[in-house]
Amino acid sequence: MVIGFAGLALIGIAAALLTARTSEHTQWVNHSYQVEVSIGRLQALIEQAETTRRGYVLTGHTSYADNARATAARIGPAIEAVAALTADNSRQTARIAGLREQLAAIAAEQDKTIALTRAGRRDEAVASFAAETGFRRMRAVRGLLSAMLADERSLLAARDAAQQSGLQTFWIVLVASGVLIVAVAAVSLAAITRYTRDLTTARDRLQLLNTDLEGAVAERTADLSRANEEIQRFAYIVSHDLRSPLVNVMGFTSELDAARQSLADLVDAAEQTAPEIVTDEARLAAREDLPEAIGFIRTSTQKMDRLINAILKLSREGRRVMTPETLPLDEIAAGVRDSLSHLAMERGAEIIVDSPLPELVSDRLAIEQILSNLVENAVKYLSPDRPGRIVISGQRTRDRVLIEVSDNGRGIAAADHSRIFDLFRRSGTQDQPGEGIGLAHVRALAYRLGGTIDVTSTFGEGSIFRLSLPLTLPDAGTTA
Amino acid sequence: MNEHRSVSIIMIEDDEGHARLIEKNIRRAGILNDIKHFTDGTSALDYLFKHADGPALNGPALVLLDLNLPDMSGTDILTKIKAEDSPVKRTPVVVLTTTDDKIEIQRCYDLGCNVYITKPVNYESFAQAIRQLGLFLSVIQVPDVILD
Repeated sequence: MVIGFAGLALIGIAAALLTARTSEHTQWVNHSYQVEVSIGRLQALIEQAETTRRGYVLTGHTSYADNARATAARIGPAIEAVAALTADNSRQTARIAGLREQLAAIAAEQDKTIALTRAGRRDEAVASFAAETGFRRMRAVRGLLSAMLADERSLLAARDAAQQSGLQTFWIVLVASGVLIVAVAAVSLAAITRYTRDLTTARDRLQLLNTDLEGAVAERTADLSRANEEIQRFAYIVSHDLRSPLVNVMGFTSELDAARQSLADLVDAAEQTAPEIVTDEARLAAREDLPEAIGFIRTSTQKMDRLINAILKLSREGRRVMTPETLPLDEIAAGVRDSLSHLAMERGAEIIVDSPLPELVSDRLAIEQILSNLVENAVKYLSPDRPGRIVISGQRTRDRVLIEVSDNGRGIAAADHSRIFDLFRRSGTQDQPGEGIGLAHVRALAYRLGGTIDVTSTFGEGSIFRLSLPLTLPDAGTTA
Repeated sequence: MNEHRSVSIIMIEDDEGHARLIEKNIRRAGILNDIKHFTDGTSALDYLFKHADGPALNGPALVLLDLNLPDMSGTDILTKIKAEDSPVKRTPVVVLTTTDDKIEIQRCYDLGCNVYITKPVNYESFAQAIRQLGLFLSVIQVPDVILD
C-alpha cells in the first residue's frame, strides 16, 4: 500500500517534470521555426535589395533607388534578429559573422553603383556592376544562408525527435501510472474488504461472547440463588429441628423444678418433725444446688431459644418476597420516629428526620425494619455524657439513594466496625438486652434490597450508619 | 368412662420426651382416656387401619399427630386418614408440631386436619396448651366409626 502510494506520488512528480520538458521542447521547436522564418526574411530582403539595385541601374528610375536603400536599411535589423535568435549556436554565429562581412561588401558595392547611376554615370555603374564580385558574393551569401537553414533544419529535426521521444516517455509514464493506480486501488480495495471482514468477524465474536457471558451470568446467578435457597432451607430446618430437643430440655427442666419443689417441701417438713434425718447435704441440695442448676439450665435454654428464633426469623426474612413500591421516605422515617419516640423520651434522646428525604422504589417492610433497627440501636446505645440526638437524613445520587442514621452516642470501637454486622456479635459494654441479631438482620435486608450498609464511628463520639440503596428495586417476582 | 364410647387417643410422635410431656399434661387436665403412642408412621398406620383394637375396627379415636417423623411425613399420614375411602376419615386429627410455617399449616387444613397446634418452646406455654387441649378433648364429640 505504502509503496503503491509512493509510486503514485513519484508518477505525479515524473508527469510534472515530463510536462515541463515537453513544453521546453516545444519552445525549442518554436525557436527553430522562428530562426528559419527570420533567415528566410533576411534572404528575401537581401534578394530584394539586390534586385531593386539592378532595376535602378538598368532603368535609372529613382523609385528603384529609394526602394533599394529602404530594403538595404531593413537588412541590418533582420541580421540582428537572426543573430539574437542564434546567439546560443556557435556555428550559426560564425556564419552570421561571415554573412555580415559579405553583406557589408555587397552594401558598399550597391551604394557605389547607385551613387554612380544617380550621378548619371550609368555606364560606369553598369561596368562596375559587371566587374564587381557581387555575383560571387551573392552566391556566398546564399550558400551561407542555406547552410544556416540546413543547420536549423537538422536542429529542428533533432528537437522534433526529442519532443516525440519526450511525448512517448510521457505516454509510457501515463500508462504506467494508470496501471499503478488500478493496482493500488485493487490493493486498497482488498485491504478495506479484508479489514471490514475482520471487523465483522470480530464484532460477531464479541456478540457471541456477550451472549455467552449473559448466559454464564444467568447460570451463575441461578447457581447462587440455588445455593442461597439451600442455605435458607438449611437454616430453617436446623433451627426448626433444634427446637424439638429444646422443648424437651425446657419441659423436663420444669418437671425437675416441680419435683425439686416437692422434695424441698419434704425437707422442710422433715426438718420440723424429725430434724435428725435431714442432712446438711440434703438441705443444701434441695434449697440451693438444685435451684441454681435448674436456673442455669433455664437461662441457657431460653437464650438458645432466642438464638434459634433469631435464625428462624432471618431465614424466614430471607424467603420473604420483596414487593417494590414507591416509598415516601419522609413518611416512613416519621413513622419510625413516632414508634420509637416513647423509648427515646425515656432515655432522653431526640430523633430528628432531616426532611425532605428522597423517594425510592423498594420494599416497604424491609426499609421500615432497617430504619427502625438502626434508630433503635442509636437510642439504646447513647452516651451517658450528653442528651442523645439521632438524625435520619438522606440524599439521592444518580441512581442510588443514600440514607444516613447518625447519632452522638457512645460510638463503636474501630475493631468492631465490620464485626457488628455479623450474627450474634455485639460491641462495647453489654448493658443492653439483645442477641446481636439486629444489624445482621439489617445487613441481610440491605443486601436483599440490592444495597449495602456500612458504619463510620469514633468510639465515644457517635456513629453514622450509611445505607446505600438502588433508586429502584427491580421486581424480581419470587426470590429465594 | 363409658366402655362403648371410650375414645382412645392415638399419639404419633417420634420424640419420646415430647410424648411424655404431652401425656403428663393431658393427664393433669384430668383426661384418663387410653393413650396409644407410636414413634413412627408405619406402625401408627398399621394400628389405625389394621389392628384389632385400632379405630378402623374398634371404636372411636382421636389422633394427635406430629408432622416430623423419621419414616414419613405427618402429612402423608394425614392424607391417608382423611382419604375419601378411609374408614377413619371422620376421626378428628389434631396436628401438634413445632412447625409454624404458614404454608404447612394451610396444607394440613387443606388435607382435612381438624386442629393445628404449634408446640410452644416455652414449657409453661406448652403445658398450658396441652392442658387446654385436654379440656377440649373432654368435651369433644367424636363420631362413631362405621364398622362393617
